[in-house]
This record gives sequence, C-alpha cells and structure tokens, in this order.
Amino acid sequence: MSTLAILGVISSAIFSGTSLLYTTLGETIHQRSGIVNLGLEGVLLISASSGFAVAALSGNPFLGVIVAALAGGLANMILGYLIITRRANQLASGLALMFFGFGLSALIGKPYVGIKINALPRITLPALSNLPTLYKSLFDFDILIYLVIPIAVLIWWLLFKTKWGLGLRAVGENADTAFASGRNPFLIRYQALFLGGMLAGLGAAHLSLAYTMNWSEYMTAGRGFIAVALVIFSKWHPLRAIGGALLFSGAVAFQLFLQSSGVQVSPFLLDTIPYILTLLVLLAWGGTRKHAAPASLGRVYQGGQQ
Amino acid sequence: MKRKLFPLISLIVIAVLVLTACQPAPAVEEPAAEEAAVEEAEVEEAEEAEAEETEEEEAVEEEGPCLIIGALYGGPINDAGYNQAMHESVMQIKENIACVQIIEAENVPEEAGATTTMENMIGEGAGMIIATAFNHQYPALTLAEQYPDVIFEHAGGWEMGANFANFFGEPPDTWYIMGVAAGLMTETNKLGFVAAFPLGWTNTFINAYALGAQSVNPDVETIVAYTFGWGDSAKEADTTNSLINQGVDVVTMHVDSPATVLGTAESRGVYSIGFQSLAAQEFAPENWISGIGFTLGGKLTWLTSTVLDGTWEPIFLRCGIADECMEMGPFGPKVPQDVQDQVLQVRADVEAGTIVVFTGPVVDQEGNVKVAEGEVLPVDLMSSVDWFVQGVTGSAK
Repeated sequence: MSTLAILGVISSAIFSGTSLLYTTLGETIHQRSGIVNLGLEGVLLISASSGFAVAALSGNPFLGVIVAALAGGLANMILGYLIITRRANQLASGLALMFFGFGLSALIGKPYVGIKINALPRITLPALSNLPTLYKSLFDFDILIYLVIPIAVLIWWLLFKTKWGLGLRAVGENADTAFASGRNPFLIRYQALFLGGMLAGLGAAHLSLAYTMNWSEYMTAGRGFIAVALVIFSKWHPLRAIGGALLFSGAVAFQLFLQSSGVQVSPFLLDTIPYILTLLVLLAWGGTRKHAAPASLGRVYQGGQQ
Repeated sequence: MKRKLFPLISLIVIAVLVLTACQPAPAVEEPAAEEAAVEEAEVEEAEEAEAEETEEEEAVEEEGPCLIIGALYGGPINDAGYNQAMHESVMQIKENIACVQIIEAENVPEEAGATTTMENMIGEGAGMIIATAFNHQYPALTLAEQYPDVIFEHAGGWEMGANFANFFGEPPDTWYIMGVAAGLMTETNKLGFVAAFPLGWTNTFINAYALGAQSVNPDVETIVAYTFGWGDSAKEADTTNSLINQGVDVVTMHVDSPATVLGTAESRGVYSIGFQSLAAQEFAPENWISGIGFTLGGKLTWLTSTVLDGTWEPIFLRCGIADECMEMGPFGPKVPQDVQDQVLQVRADVEAGTIVVFTGPVVDQEGNVKVAEGEVLPVDLMSSVDWFVQGVTGSAK
C-alpha cells in the first residue's frame, strides 16, 4: 500500500464523509426531539437539486449552498406540518416525503443535468502548497469540509449545554412532561426539523456543489438512509457521529482501494463491506441500555388533550 | 412504545441498507446493446414480410409533415452522455429531411412507460418509432405486431420483425484507438477505468482499450474499479479518486454521465478520455486527451429516407467509425503532435481493416488463450465476455 493510496483512503473518507456527517447531524437533532425523519433522502435530493440549479443560474456556488440549506429546512416543514400539526404517523409521512423528494428534485434538476457549474472553491493550506498537484489535491478541502467538525461541536453544545437543547431533548424523551414544565413541544419540534433540514441541506450542497460537481437524478443513492443508520450507530450523539460518518465513508474508500489494487475477491462482495460493517455495529450496539433511543422517538405528540 | 419502535426503525434501516447494498443492475440509459446484446442477427426471418409496411406514412399531404417520428430516451437528453448522443442523432434527421416532424419523450426508463409513450406517439400519427434505451426493445416489439404500419427501430437491440429492426454503433474499435492514445500519454503506465457493473459489453470495451494501450506501450496496466450504479455520482468521484491514488494518470469510464469522472480527474490534474457523447469535453478542458461518442444521425437519416420512399427493410444495422456512426473527439491541448499523428494513423488502419482489434492470440488474465492465433473474437460473443485480457487489473465477474 503506497503512501498515496493510504492518504487517498483518508482523503476520500473525508470528502465523501462530509455530506454524510452533515446529514447525520441533522437527523440527530430530529431524533433527539422525538422525530424519525425517513424522508431525509428526499430532503437531500430537493436540496441538492435546488442548490445546484441556483449555482448554475447565478454562477455563484455559495448562493447555491445557502439555497440548498434553506430548501432542506423548508422541505422538512412539510414533514413538520404532517406529523406535528396534523399528527400523522411519522414513518409513513417520512416515506411520503421521500417519494415527494424524488419527484420534485427530478423536476427541479431536469434543466441542469449535464451542466457545468463553478464548483465550491477548494482552499489549499499554505503548508501544502509546495506538494505536487497529485498530493495537494488530496487535501484541497472546500469550506464545507473545514466547517463540518466545528458544526458538529456546535450541535453538541446546542443539544447538551444550552437551555434550548435541554428543552429539545426533554421533548424527545417525554413531550407531555416537557409541556407540563412550560415548553412548547410543537414549536420545539418545528425548530428541530428546520435546523436539521438545513444541516441535511448543507450535506446535499457538499455532494452536488463540491464533491461531484454534478446533478443527476437520485444522485444521493441511499445516503439519507445511511444517515438514519449512522444516528443509531453513533447513539444519538453529534460527536460520535463524526466517527460514524468517517468510518462508513472510509470503508467505501477502502473497498474501492481493494478493488483497484486487484485483490482476487468479487467486486460485488467488496462493495457490500461498508453496509456489512454498519450492520455489524448496529447488531453489536443495538441492545445496550446505557445509550438508548430518546424515549418518545417516533411518537406523535397529541397535545394537551390526552 | 420505545421497545416496539426501536426494532421497527432498525428493521426499516436494515431493509434499506440491504436494498442499497444489492442495488440491481438496471442498465436504464445504457447503450442498449449492453448486457444481452447482439446474439443472433435473424435478418432472414423478416424478409418475406417487407412488402406491406410503408404505404400510409408516405401519403404526403401538402401541409402536414411527410412523416412523424416518435423518439424516446431512457434518461434526460441533456446528460452529456448516451441520451444526449442519441437525441442529437435523431435531431439530425430533421436537419437533413426538413419535412419530417419529430416527437420526443425523455426519461422513459421503464417498460410500462415506454409502451404507453409509444402508443401515444402512434396515436398522434407517428409512422416511425425510434426507441433508444435497453428496456424499450420488448415493448416496441410487442407494439410492432399490433401496429404493422408503423416502423420500429431500436438502438442496440437484437430482435427483428417485419416492421422492427435495430441499429447501433460499434464502440470496441474506437475504444482500441482511445487505448492507443492513453498508452502514449501515460507516464506512470497505469490507466484507470471506472465502470458501473461487470457486464459483457463493458468488459469488451475495457479489453479493447487495454489492447490498444498495450499495442504502443507493452508495460501499461489497466486498472478497473466498479461503482455498482449507473448514476451514483459520489461513488464515481470516490472511484475515480481511488484509481488516481493507485497511480493512474489517465482515467476513462463507462457510466451514464461522464461529468463527475472527468470533473474529478480534472481537479486532480489527471488526463481523461470521454465516452458516449463528445459534449463531455467541457468537464475536462485542460486534461482531456480525446473521446468517442455515438453519431448515428447519418444512418438514421438514411433509414428515414427509406421509410419515406417505401424501400425500408428490417436490417440488423451495425456501423463503426468508418461509417461515421462513431465519432472521435478533438484532441486536448496537452496532446503532442506526434501522439496525435500516431493515433490518427491507428484510426486509419482500423477503418481500413488492417487492424482488427480482437485478433488472436488474445490471452486472459490467467494466461488462458481466449482467441487462438489466426482467429478473431466473433461479434456475437462480445456481449457475454466475462474475462479481461492480460494487463488488466480487476475482476470481470
């Protein structure tokens, strides 16, 4: 394994793990407030397509990032209306949002398939500027990559160190009790959905505006669901999510490394490594009591009437 | 409640992970020849039924179009890939024969959708249907029996009927030429190939590419890695990077849209070669070597003209670069003149027939002779190739 290959696996893990991490952070906030958002895949697609469309129209990728984040937050408001205001079943509403996202993103992205955009600029650290392009390009990160870990820490701080975060977690554990202690579960869950959606939007923006520089239909290819798995994987903790996202995308990069180094194993089998790894971790960690899911995860809050 | 919900969520997540992991290989927008392909060209079967086809649509009225052509595509026509190439080929008919009218439908990947789309087109008076995605073949064949007055042409299929035939380019020859260009340009002697799935035609393309490269550079190694998806852009970027990190300095691909692979190679400062549509060049302005695309407009124009004058017959039409059914892109700015000359010479030899790509002896990765000395790999076997030639790293199945 050459130095370049080792550095390459790390670099790929960071590049493709970034969008996963943003999305996982978003879903962590949803689930901490008691909402399972299975529509994340659709939210990602809506964000990626609208961000890409705006970047293509305006020529400004930063505008695309902002629009993608807003689109993610707004797409989640649809879910919010269904499950908070209309008190519909969370899982069914989430799946409906996902399919809505498939359709809407295809419609938004249609004119922009095959369009070349100005990608989010990459920033070379001064220390690396003397390396040959091949190596330098491994660690030419864009702004969204530099921001992802600080944002993870920020989310941790928000959830665990602020009053707002306490209220949010209280709603996720027991909305009635939270209500009795003067919080508004409806409002908090809307806020959680909006913030989480914006984070997912950032993830989608990184995918389409920085990493692939491309929009194609259904380009997220299941990443929304991987993020849901990673939330469980990381025990609803934003900092553990960093490890989870890096591990998953590192596994993808590693199996591609194995493929391209010519190991005599079926590439079909190699391709399943990241998923098998996720399943194994879910299995191994699934039952522990210490880090259990938020107690009213998936429960629709009925309000005061009982 | 919590107890019940956790297994439920886990179950859903696991189900989705499993589904994602075993994504099927639906070659939605592929050069339809792909998986199953050319098998038997049953041209003779159709001969007796050729007479009664064409009368209606050439009843030329003064105002109306002389022929309505319905064209359908598996994906978006602006994908800088296969669908765009097919769309441009179809639009060339209109340029050459002004009196035709073309109705197009894009993003029709499914068989059921294809059937209703074609029925609608026929309802609007289409006298000729051009179906370009792999999944369009059998719906078109079924409709061909229902509507004997309508001519059906399918891109890359193998079925034939009284009013149903197919047409396609021949990419392997052009892949050989691209291999020559890559073999001359590489400095690390490693070429990368990003493929969607290990399929017969994909393997044939890779073999032709590797043989071309080896013909000018015996030390060259061609490394293959799969994305297991025709349009998973992030995986394409991962795969391209993975190959580049193995030391590859020329990248090419067989996935739907070349955009991400070429864009990623460009950002890493690595050469690239395009496939499907030459529109891909804009994604790699600096490091583009060359590319190949489908340009079937000429043959489609000819087919249309035979429909118009009533001489259309069902033929199994395959045409290569010499017939202008495949086109080679311009060279990029970094390709030196002597390399260009050498590549063009090979192209001339391929066109003249002095170079035949799969001429024996062809040896696979394990050293088994796949094509014996003095023989040539028959076209009907190319669709089911499950081996790589020596010098390719990667698994063909």
